[in-house]
Amino acid sequence: MANYSDLEYLRLSKGQKFAYKLGHFFLSIPRAIGRLFVNIGKGIGKGAKGIGRSLADIGSTFRNGDGITKGSFVIMGLGNMARGQILRGILFLLFEIVFIFYMVTTGGYWLSMLPSLGHQGPAQEYNPIYDTYVTTYHDNSFKILLYGVLTIFFIIAFIYTWRANLKQAKITQEMREKGIRLKSGKDDLRSLVDEGFYKTLLALPLTGIIIFTVLPIVFMILVAFTNYDGTHDGYFNSLFNWVGLENFNTMLSWEGGGNVYSATFGEVLTWTLIWAFFATFSNYFLGMFVAMMINKTGRTFKKGWRTILVLTIAIPQFISLLYVSKMFAKNGIVNGFLMNMGWIETALPFFEKAAWARITVILINIWIGIPYLMLIVTGILMNIPADLYESAKIDGASGWKQFTKITLPYMLFITGPYLVTQFTGNMNNFNVIFLLTGGGPTNPAASGASGSVGYTDLLVTWLFKITTGAESKYYLASVVGILIFVVVAVITLVVYNLLPSVKNEEDFQ
Amino acid sequence: MKKVLAIVLALVMVLGLAACGTPANNNTPANNTADDKPLAGTYKIKVWAAENNQELTKKQIEAFNQSNDMGIVIEATVEAVSEADAGTNMITDIEAGPDIYWFAQDQFARLVNAGALDKLGEGASKTVSEANDPGVVAAGSINGQLYAYPATSDNGYFMYYDKSVIPETDIDSLEKLIADCEAAKKYFAFEAQTSAWYIASWFFGTGCHSEWEMDNDGKYTGVKDDFNSANGLIAAKGLYKLVSSPFHLSSSKGAEFESGAAIVVTGTWDYEVVQKILGDNMGVADLPSFEVDGKQYHLGSYNGCKLVGVKPQTDAKRGAALHQLAQYLTDYDRQMERFNELAWGPANLKAQSDDKVKANPGLAALLQQNAYSVPQGQIHGSWWDIAKVIGDDVKESGGTDEGLKAALQKYQDKIDALFSMSDEEKNAWTVIGDINGDGWSIDLPMEEVSAGVWKTTQKYDLKAGNQFKCRQGKSWDVSIGNGGDNYVVEKDGSFTIVLTLNGDSGTITLE
Amino acid sequence: MSKKNDYDPSEIKRAMGMTAKNRVSNTVIYVVLVIMSIVWLIPFFCIVFQSFRCESTWMAGYVFPTKWGLDNYINLAKTDFWKWYTNTFIIAVVVAVFQTIIVLCMSYTLSRFRFKMRKGLMKFMLVLGLFPGMLTMIILYRVLKDLNMTQANAVPGLILVYIASSGMGYYVSKGFFDTVPKTLDEAARIDGATRAQVLWKIILPMAKPIVIYTVLTAFMGPWGDFVFARYISMNTSAGMNVAVGLQSWLSLDQINNRYTMFCAGGVIVAIPVTILFLCLQKYYVEGVTGGAVKG
Repeated sequence: MANYSDLEYLRLSKGQKFAYKLGHFFLSIPRAIGRLFVNIGKGIGKGAKGIGRSLADIGSTFRNGDGITKGSFVIMGLGNMARGQILRGILFLLFEIVFIFYMVTTGGYWLSMLPSLGHQGPAQEYNPIYDTYVTTYHDNSFKILLYGVLTIFFIIAFIYTWRANLKQAKITQEMREKGIRLKSGKDDLRSLVDEGFYKTLLALPLTGIIIFTVLPIVFMILVAFTNYDGTHDGYFNSLFNWVGLENFNTMLSWEGGGNVYSATFGEVLTWTLIWAFFATFSNYFLGMFVAMMINKTGRTFKKGWRTILVLTIAIPQFISLLYVSKMFAKNGIVNGFLMNMGWIETALPFFEKAAWARITVILINIWIGIPYLMLIVTGILMNIPADLYESAKIDGASGWKQFTKITLPYMLFITGPYLVTQFTGNMNNFNVIFLLTGGGPTNPAASGASGSVGYTDLLVTWLFKITTGAESKYYLASVVGILIFVVVAVITLVVYNLLPSVKNEEDFQ
Repeated sequence: MKKVLAIVLALVMVLGLAACGTPANNNTPANNTADDKPLAGTYKIKVWAAENNQELTKKQIEAFNQSNDMGIVIEATVEAVSEADAGTNMITDIEAGPDIYWFAQDQFARLVNAGALDKLGEGASKTVSEANDPGVVAAGSINGQLYAYPATSDNGYFMYYDKSVIPETDIDSLEKLIADCEAAKKYFAFEAQTSAWYIASWFFGTGCHSEWEMDNDGKYTGVKDDFNSANGLIAAKGLYKLVSSPFHLSSSKGAEFESGAAIVVTGTWDYEVVQKILGDNMGVADLPSFEVDGKQYHLGSYNGCKLVGVKPQTDAKRGAALHQLAQYLTDYDRQMERFNELAWGPANLKAQSDDKVKANPGLAALLQQNAYSVPQGQIHGSWWDIAKVIGDDVKESGGTDEGLKAALQKYQDKIDALFSMSDEEKNAWTVIGDINGDGWSIDLPMEEVSAGVWKTTQKYDLKAGNQFKCRQGKSWDVSIGNGGDNYVVEKDGSFTIVLTLNGDSGTITLE
Repeated sequence: MSKKNDYDPSEIKRAMGMTAKNRVSNTVIYVVLVIMSIVWLIPFFCIVFQSFRCESTWMAGYVFPTKWGLDNYINLAKTDFWKWYTNTFIIAVVVAVFQTIIVLCMSYTLSRFRFKMRKGLMKFMLVLGLFPGMLTMIILYRVLKDLNMTQANAVPGLILVYIASSGMGYYVSKGFFDTVPKTLDEAARIDGATRAQVLWKIILPMAKPIVIYTVLTAFMGPWGDFVFARYISMNTSAGMNVAVGLQSWLSLDQINNRYTMFCAGGVIVAIPVTILFLCLQKYYVEGVTGGAVKG
């Protein structure tokens, strides 16, 4: 595709300009993906270099350190304590004691079991006295995996702290030698509400995120490499094992023209992307349209229209969507109404045929989405500088021209990131699909895949079906989850890299 | 100062761990040393029963406490979980699950596989099998071993119809029923597109079979299924007549009578609703017949049941007490009580022959239909998903012979795929035995490191006396141990298992 | 903050005199909006009508009840409904308070401080947010179970999980803080205020719209959670939230007796949320537009 200079570009007709921009957008996608991988590679390289530098630094700390600094290699916080920073020293030492105590009492066990995920499953024995069977339970693969991962987290935290302790020992030693006053415990505490305030602010939120988001995600990623399912629950029926990449193989292999899983995955992914596209943009443009229409009506009415639309946000979706899905059933009130009016002879198959069901859910999604968009757009419209319109008016621009030249570009610029989050959010829009169709109508071709997959199933509802389906194949759910992540991550990162409004975060300040 | 953050973090984790350490201890019964009453004691248990059965179950447990002469006192919390959901919920977390629970038959195999059902003792097995309907007993057993107590025998379906729309003379003929519905612009509700349970009706009507085989651990080993046959084609033709009608509604809810249905095929659980909606216009009948090539075929059905299960226990005494209660809850008197209060059809033979039971119109229709029904045995969990699309496929086929045959062929391919393996899998060797604590149920993977030499992919901790064998294609057709016997481990240690093949035989070594 | 104005293009037009064309297009707009309002309100009213239907208790195929009454609302008292309602209310209030604090901490920090790990942290959280939350349900259940926070104790468990992961949702309010000029902070710092004082005394009073927006979204969330909350409460009625409890009435053994009560319960759930939403709509709009679009 030709690259035009600014002058050449200006000479193009409207259609050509649009085509040019669109073409460039898509052409830049491969480059953005490429950049993504380069960046990932760079990051890894940086990390490796950082570790190397750290090791060198540890070595030099040991060589140049005095007795106290050397002692800090074994007794954490010694450097701080000996040099008067009692509070820091005690915290270091306390951490070391807790760590050692934990590793000796339980951590060591979990870690040692992690490679095997347990040796002995449950056993049953007949007890003739009571005429009953007695079950004895042994190892618990699930707990081994969970606490094994937690232990590894803990070890990483320990290494990090140990390293910080060494740095401190080195710095305090150097400062002492130069005769600089060291910060006291009081100074440390004061800094927590001032220049170090961010540490105080972040401590709690990050702790929560690590335990309740990071840990579960790491765990579930690992599950994708095991055979954890309803019949290998790790404790009650039999242990689960590591199986390597077998599950990914099941899901993605194309040998012999593809198996039912890979075919189903392809089909569900395609629909997920189509759905996300239409759900996002239909809401976006119609929402904008409605907001502008409402703005055009008188001041007194504005509030009324908005209130009516907002009512649909306030009713929980599990009630409203369930009812709406019933309305569109073959014998629901919509079909009943149309038949009574004599407009149709037989019921319309809203949720019965693939194409119908897909269009119906997209349309109903508009019903849900417009109120939100309307609110957002109303706010943004108020923010568009009034003088822009005034000067346009003076130039004699028509309403349509004002829209295409001022409103739309402004909106697109401002809401770029929002559109991306909406898109990925729609890809994972569980509620709408689950409550409206439950994924149906069933896709006969996919019935061999775990869970009964339908034509409106998104990857995320499929994931749910696998988890709760007849065989509870958690490992496959985990594979699907990872694949969803990969797809969403690629889309997000690529588009984010292409968006102008994200690049310059500071511009808004 | 980063370390402060790190320390706080670590402390939080440790506290978390400290709180996690020990598994919840089971409520052990209070000791009572009286030898003549070995089970005497107080037991705190949890029970799941459907919402409408909740109060009655509480009452019956109370009665058990009063009447049993073994000194058992049960303190039960009864939670409302429907029989249909019990299996899924139980498998989610067996530990937190109930000690005694009601469940629908289709979840039986899943529950056995998940280790959520305790086998019945020998005495109890004998009593229960003698007292109850053999079809229901089979539904609760695997190769003769009972895993659950039969409680009802009414999970079947028949036809409700609106007498003001459907003339009584037409109820035997599917074709006439469809025509009546179309003429009146009313719906014929038969869940023939979304439920395998109802779809099977057509195939049983033409004499097809679908029977699954299991090993003693409750794992499926094979199937005898002839839906894809000449008889199956007849069934598909009949099915097409219904699903191609614009007034067919794929639903089995009694309340559809309020939304324009004239016929609903469902079970006894909707009796009350339908009666309230239709009043005197309610008609009940067995399913109709359909005609293909001048021959009549009466629709068949599944005849299923509800069962009561006991969760495996670690304490023999507690287990025995729970089994006493479960047996009590499903005996003759309790089944009759449930029939009287909830109109649940009993599984007990004596109760089934009771005049009052026979006189119940819903059960009577079911009994009539039973002449054409097939006892719902153990069915593979995936079958429900595979068979449920027959209805859609048949509808899409356009009704031609080729289209219908293709639909059935697709069905068969998917069934076959459940038990088939790729060539690679068929040729691969695996290790199976009591070495992984799983009692000969998991095949441990091996890889071919050089021609004829297979090694396990990792080391396993073996104990002296452990036994195992290597087998090919996860089947016992070709297996090697110490010759034909199991290989016996001689000393403890962590080993890689190596199989060196030599023509048809091979040797196992540990590394 | 950028300058807001209540400029309305239509008003200028009116001032310039309405042309016939404008009048036609305005009529069209009104017609479209009226039709839309009807479409938007039909399901809403249908649900309300169902909740007043007394002649039967199952799903009915018609809209207007033949017998109106309050039976369904009165009968709610005979079930655990109010227990579920209280549970949800407690969860919503506690979560609203803590989530707001956490979100404000995160977003203020990431907007104002420039520290070494900042960019990395933001990228990391962006990536974390891309994992489908559904996936971690199983493991969160087991962790909570080990902490004895499931089943009957599900309320504290749910609160813990909602709060713990709320730091991830900082985008909107960070976007808002980004629009607050930095010079305000700097002036105060020169006057000798600590960072903490700046946050308390200067930024927070200005952040009213975003605080209300955060409280509102945090408060609304727990009312509609029927998947995760269901998993955590594991069929124990005492630990259910109102969404899970009402959903349990749709199971095969209950729907015929409880459907109209389900609608009545739904209406009661919608009341506080609707009122809050209508009262605070203004702030919601300011919040999203100030933050969401720039996040």
